[in-house]
Amino acid sequence: CALRARDSWGIFAFLCAALCNLPAVPALNGTEELGAGQSIQKTYDLTRYLEHQLRTLAGTYLNYLGPPFNEPDFNPPRLARAEQVPSATVDLDLWRGLTDNARLAANYRAYSRLLCYLRGLDGQVGTVELRHRLGHFCSSLQGLVLSIAGVMSSLGYPLPAGPAGPPAPPGAPAAPNDFLKKMDDFWLLKELQTWLWRSAKDFNRLKKKVPPAVVTLRMEARGF
Amino acid sequence: MWTNPNLRCLLALAILCLTSFVHSREIGSQGDPQNLKCVTHNLRKMVCTWDISSKRRHGQTEFCYTTECFKTKEKRVEIPVPESSTTVKITTYSISGTAFTTRRFEIHKKDISFVPLTPRILSLTPDFSTFTLTLKWSDNGSAFPYGLDASWEIEILRKETMEDVTRESYNSKLTHEDIIHSWNWKSDMPLECTSHYVRIRHYINITQFDGHKDWSDWSPVEVVPGKDTEPSGSGLFPQDTVVAVGSNVTFCCVHEEGRQVQRMSYGAKDYPLIRLSSRSSAIRVLNANASDASGTNIVCRMSENGMDGTVLFVGYGPDVPEDLSCETSNFVIIKCTWKPGRASGLYGVRGTKYSLIESISGKNVSCEVNEMKKERICGFPVLADQKTYSFVLGVSNPIGQTEASLLVDLNQRVNPETPEKLTVSGNSSTSVRLHWFINGSFAEIRLLCQIEISSGHSEQKLHNVSMPGGKFSTYTAQLNALHPYTKYRFRVRCSAADHFWRWSDWSGTEEHTTLEAPPARGPDIWRERSPSGKSLRIFWKVDRKLKMSVWSLMDFFVVFVADNVKTDRAVAMGNGIYISWNSYPNMTCGYIVKWCHSSGSEPCSVDWQKFPSNTTDAVIKSALFRPGVRYNFSLYGCKSSGYQLLKNITGYTKELPPKRAPNFTVEETSSDSILVKWEDMPIEDCQGFLEGYRLSFAKGEKDALKPRLLESGNPELKVKNITDLTKKSLKILDLQGKTSYQLDLQAYTAGGLSPPNSLYVVTKEDSVGLIIAILIPVAVVVLLGVVASIFCYRKREWIKETFYPEIPNPENSKALQFQKNICEGNKSLKTLEMNPCTPNSVEVVETQSAAPKIEDTEMMSSKTDTIVPEDGSDSETENHVVVSYCPPIIEEEISNPPMDEPVGLSQVVYIDIQSMYQPQIKPEEESEIDLVTTAGYKPQMQLPVSALKIESRSPAEEESDKTAGYRPQANTNAWNMDTPDSPGSVESNNENASFGSPCSINSRQFLLPPKDDEDSPKPSNTGWSFTHFFQNKPND
Repeated sequence: CALRARDSWGIFAFLCAALCNLPAVPALNGTEELGAGQSIQKTYDLTRYLEHQLRTLAGTYLNYLGPPFNEPDFNPPRLARAEQVPSATVDLDLWRGLTDNARLAANYRAYSRLLCYLRGLDGQVGTVELRHRLGHFCSSLQGLVLSIAGVMSSLGYPLPAGPAGPPAPPGAPAAPNDFLKKMDDFWLLKELQTWLWRSAKDFNRLKKKVPPAVVTLRMEARGF
Repeated sequence: MWTNPNLRCLLALAILCLTSFVHSREIGSQGDPQNLKCVTHNLRKMVCTWDISSKRRHGQTEFCYTTECFKTKEKRVEIPVPESSTTVKITTYSISGTAFTTRRFEIHKKDISFVPLTPRILSLTPDFSTFTLTLKWSDNGSAFPYGLDASWEIEILRKETMEDVTRESYNSKLTHEDIIHSWNWKSDMPLECTSHYVRIRHYINITQFDGHKDWSDWSPVEVVPGKDTEPSGSGLFPQDTVVAVGSNVTFCCVHEEGRQVQRMSYGAKDYPLIRLSSRSSAIRVLNANASDASGTNIVCRMSENGMDGTVLFVGYGPDVPEDLSCETSNFVIIKCTWKPGRASGLYGVRGTKYSLIESISGKNVSCEVNEMKKERICGFPVLADQKTYSFVLGVSNPIGQTEASLLVDLNQRVNPETPEKLTVSGNSSTSVRLHWFINGSFAEIRLLCQIEISSGHSEQKLHNVSMPGGKFSTYTAQLNALHPYTKYRFRVRCSAADHFWRWSDWSGTEEHTTLEAPPARGPDIWRERSPSGKSLRIFWKVDRKLKMSVWSLMDFFVVFVADNVKTDRAVAMGNGIYISWNSYPNMTCGYIVKWCHSSGSEPCSVDWQKFPSNTTDAVIKSALFRPGVRYNFSLYGCKSSGYQLLKNITGYTKELPPKRAPNFTVEETSSDSILVKWEDMPIEDCQGFLEGYRLSFAKGEKDALKPRLLESGNPELKVKNITDLTKKSLKILDLQGKTSYQLDLQAYTAGGLSPPNSLYVVTKEDSVGLIIAILIPVAVVVLLGVVASIFCYRKREWIKETFYPEIPNPENSKALQFQKNICEGNKSLKTLEMNPCTPNSVEVVETQSAAPKIEDTEMMSSKTDTIVPEDGSDSETENHVVVSYCPPIIEEEISNPPMDEPVGLSQVVYIDIQSMYQPQIKPEEESEIDLVTTAGYKPQMQLPVSALKIESRSPAEEESDKTAGYRPQANTNAWNMDTPDSPGSVESNNENASFGSPCSINSRQFLLPPKDDEDSPKPSNTGWSFTHFFQNKPND
């Protein structure tokens, strides 16, 4: 696990998460709310960490893809085949209108699929360093998928059918040429970014819904 | 234009036709057949065509040749080619059937043209990946005799407009068979970019044919349509291509109808567009650089946010592998290694692939290599019954391929696997058996194994064993001559014995302790009888490997002590002590050197060392020896009757400076001497053999701030070196009375000086000396007085004559002679005035004045008397330019001039050479002169205020004159005076110049005016005194 200095924010977030959760650990087998609140917090932290991690990874990866992919104003048309990557470009109002369960399930499905694509990307990269970083990110993302599953189960929602557990091999056919493959990679990273951004919002909202006061109270009771 | 072969051919044909026409023409009448032309395609038959001149309609034509006639409606016939020539008759008929006209033509073989049949393209196949077109056609060779040279011209055209791209030649030989020829052409642009067209024609060079030979007609074009002709064809081409660095590549963007290509970029750079068709544009990249790991992107941006792209991989062809080397470690797999050389810059599926081909067996393996490692490894199985391998390492990537080869005799390239499972066994005190396993089949070679033996502090030893190899077997070796009860560490490595190539890695280390053995000799003991003789102390040296027990003390033990045992000093040698002794012939069983280590308060621990009887010296070493510690050694000789103490030796492993200086006291002091006494130093403080003392002394107060006596480079420091160690006191002589002395005493050894011990002593007052010092001068003075009195009394007459004559004789007066020297030439001076020359005054006397004056003040006043000022009495003294430095006493003198004129009396003016040379000042300018004379230095306390002058002065001047106390040394008004209108501008210039460097009295000789200045004053006397220096205005 080669954490860079750039990841220090992420480490910080992790540490914070660990610190916040540490006093509540003995209370894990306590009430339902407490378990859910804690795992939502964890998932939220992990999402933020992944957001940060992706920011640096995407920079490196887009540089690896070369111009024009690393140009800031590069905005290619989304080709038909890129639609296979789960898109987060659902209308925000529509998204908010969904139930928590539906949103969580959508998140779960999306990250499971995204993880599949990301793993496919891992094997084709020419440079070892980037491969390592991709691998590192994949494990983090795998953690997020599991974390979301944890949140869902703690809230009593059933896991969505479809890609669950170990992700299925990507169903998408290989890109017909290298440029389209790069385009896929570009969209994959872009979608990931959007998903993580929206998930962070989702978990933040969920965190407020599932009363964190219990957690705080318990923390105070134990920590001080 | 004649350079064009086609044009030339056409022209030749035209001329030929014309001549044949002329030849065959007989009568030119209506309906005449004319322009008979015969062309053969195959040399067997020819086609003859003709024209009919008449415009009238005509019916059939009868054509006769040799004996055959036939009618035809056409104007062409096909007849056999004649051997040499033939005559043909052409008769034209009207529609009704009546003959118009008949003509005969003589056809010579040379008049017949040979034009090959138009070739037909059998196939045109594109290879889009390589941009290659493959053209196939038949040469129709069966129609011609064997061995004719055929030339082909193939024309490639491109785009909708069928632009010429290239015209290529292709030569072949006809073999009297129909051969299908194939020809490739590689386009510089992907074939998808636009349509490519191909046509072909040919020419047969029949040398035996006399007639005209010509190229065939072009074949119909074959086309490879571009993507831009397909209704929905689009894309950026070429797709995912790999090219070598430095290649030129054309990319084209094919799009749908109605869109426009806006720009195309290669990497980050846009390139100029080349329009191929309405649906296809291209860019051309020259000399492509190596691309990044993911390739270089080429992007085509079109209108309506259309985008297409492709990736180009630019890299290098594979490098020839370096240092290809193959060896086996187990006779199962041959491992070949090499260095890949320059990186291709291509990765993943486009990366370099390696395959190992063994050409003797024909087997080959493809190598999975780790791109990250510098060295590549590939394994090849060892083949049964094959010892020599000829390897070819094939290297390829999309750009190219190369190879390296190596011939190896496997038996000479054995680097055995690392020995494992090393065990040590043995139930002997001096030998062990080692067993190890090597994972490999070495049955056909001998192995050479190396065993590393190391024990404790002793050095490592290597033991080589050669043994026949085995198949995955355990090997055994026996090691003898080991020490009993010793812990050994063993490890093994092996190589091929007959053809050494490389050692294997070392096996793991195995430890083993040999068994104990009975001691070879008894313990090393020493016995000492107590001084009382009642007890005996036994010492022995501990041998950790031996268990000891004291069984008996009954053996005979005598120590003889001679009376006069001498004590020697030993010399340090290295970290030991060198001891030597004479050979004692009666000491038959050797010598013993015994010593004692004392550590603090505990009784010293005895140690000893035995030497054979032929030894006479030894270096005693012990880890316990410390520098600066005295060790006492006793040398015993061993003889049959017991031990005899031969001598005692003391020594140091290293002498150090004494720890401290001896304590010393001042025993007595006198006015000129000090007696110092000091104590002996204990041996442990000496830290070496004491060699002497060093007493240094110098005058010095007991003052902590002062540097130490020894440290300072005190010139008065005196040092006394006492080398006689028996001496314990020293008297320091020749000291001054009542003076404080600092005394430093140091002891020294060969190791250096001890820190000093200091004392301060004050010597006693020397009263006798003082009395003598007073008495002697008094006595001398009295004696001199007496002598002078006697002398004066005796010579009183002469004294009187000389100094106080009753009638003074000026010639004889010493005093006056003195005066005369000073006031040279002044013979008219008053004779007996003893102080006519005020020593600090000098007067500059007018040249006219024959008698220079001596008294400055008088002279000055007399001088002013002679001056007749034009404008009253105001400025009499201004004539004198007073320039000299005046001591205060002189100021007083000159403060009483007769005219009561203060100006100039107390003025001190610094004047430079320029002012010395100033021209004579006219009387009307005097007031200005006065002004400027004040421009120089003014003493701050003297106020030369002239009441008489006030009216004539400007308010500013007045102001300046009134100023009391400090005054600026320069007259500020003078600085403004050199305006042209200013009456005194000329002079003021001169005077202003005098602001420069002041002139001191010392340099006054310089100030003297030149000779040509007749009016310049000359000092009559330049006597010894500092005085005023006056400059006069003689003309006034």
